[in-house]
Amino acid sequence: MLISGTVPIKDLPLTSGEARFEGEFLRLNDFKIPCSQGTAALISAALATTDYLKLEPPKVLLVGDNGEGMGSRLIYEYLIKNTPDLSPDVLVLHYCLPDMALMRRLCESVERCSKRPIMIADASSMYAAKAAGQAAKFDIFTPDATEIAFLADPDATHPAYINKHLFDTDITRTHELVTAAYQLKSAAKLLLVKGEIDYVVKKGQIIDTITEPNIPELEAIGGTGDTITGLVAAFAYAELELHEAAIIAARANRMAGKYAQATPGTRVWQIISQFPAIFKEYLCEWSGVCYVAPNR
Amino acid sequence: MMVFKRKKKPSFEGGGLLLFEKVEEAIRAEKALKGENYRVKLVAPPPALRKGCDLAVEINLVEQMGIERLFKQKDVAYLEVVPLKGDGELLEIVKLTNFEDATMVKAGNMKVTFDRNTGIILNASGGGCPDIPYLHAQLIDKKLTEAPRPKEIGFTLCALMMDRAFEECLELWRKGGN
Repeated sequence: MLISGTVPIKDLPLTSGEARFEGEFLRLNDFKIPCSQGTAALISAALATTDYLKLEPPKVLLVGDNGEGMGSRLIYEYLIKNTPDLSPDVLVLHYCLPDMALMRRLCESVERCSKRPIMIADASSMYAAKAAGQAAKFDIFTPDATEIAFLADPDATHPAYINKHLFDTDITRTHELVTAAYQLKSAAKLLLVKGEIDYVVKKGQIIDTITEPNIPELEAIGGTGDTITGLVAAFAYAELELHEAAIIAARANRMAGKYAQATPGTRVWQIISQFPAIFKEYLCEWSGVCYVAPNR
Repeated sequence: MMVFKRKKKPSFEGGGLLLFEKVEEAIRAEKALKGENYRVKLVAPPPALRKGCDLAVEINLVEQMGIERLFKQKDVAYLEVVPLKGDGELLEIVKLTNFEDATMVKAGNMKVTFDRNTGIILNASGGGCPDIPYLHAQLIDKKLTEAPRPKEIGFTLCALMMDRAFEECLELWRKGGN
């Protein structure tokens, strides 16, 4: 599994390797990266999962970018050049300044892999995939309630420009927005729509919803959407069916909020720290995976 | 004999246009942006979007906020930024959620949450542009009245929406926290 994205350390050069979750920080080679909102949270959640399942940890590709875009372009160019040789089982694209032309070239590059990776996008990589007309090439998107409105808007290239009538909707219209997103070919094969109700959508059909435990404070905590994406990616890498990976990710994230006794001021690393205990308690029941073979 | 012409793929698609009153302003703007490593190109605006002169600069729409700040700093004249598709209006709606001692303000998919008793920013979430994790780190644990504004240190549309949420938080706080 390869996870790529930017982190808010401007002088971090394009760096690849295996990261380690150390509570408030993520360590990559000699760099200490704050485990806060964004790709660091995604990687940390994925690591918690692969550690528990005794799977090979994800390879990560990170670069510093505070929003000016230079680091993001380095990531795109690296992936365009190297993805066919790397041929990861799962490719996760995360925080990166959206660039439609570069995203299109990256998707062409993925076509040259010996075995097509499971393609997952969230955050601005999802925006770029939709805006560039490449959404249907992806296996999983993890939009929130506003982002599903963005996917359902035929014109918007960023959620800030979605039609206000689409934004001003309540969760009861999620089905309608999902249908519109698929009709426009702006959705991945599987969607996990994160919100008060989490919707798991497969090829346009809502196949499950997750509502419990209900922890409204999670929405306020920066990075709790990123952790869901990290969990989905890791469970997909563990060869669960993609919809099962999504359902378990949504349940685990909510349960972590409960275990952490989340408040609006809770930090995402405190949520991530709960995952091992949650897997120990619930993973067998949720997935049927009750025995973890050592060092797969 | 058949001649096959390879369709040239565009090397840059930005999704947004800068419109200008005069051609020389467009040329000056393009130069200023290229000097700051923005990927841009001079284009003819489609008739439906045309205002002022018939030369525009295509930009990556996501970078709108950083570009407008740069123009202000360098005194570069322009008419407006418009998306190439859609109705061209930024989302202005904000939504509030109250927790026990905190209020979360949501603008688009960007959220800022503050403590109603202290005015301290507890969390910032949502979005997906690379400046958002940076803004998260810059805002958390600071008082609303002392924290930097996302529009002053961010670059993207996500930061612009976060600033909208921030502004609403500030207004609520000044009115007494609720």
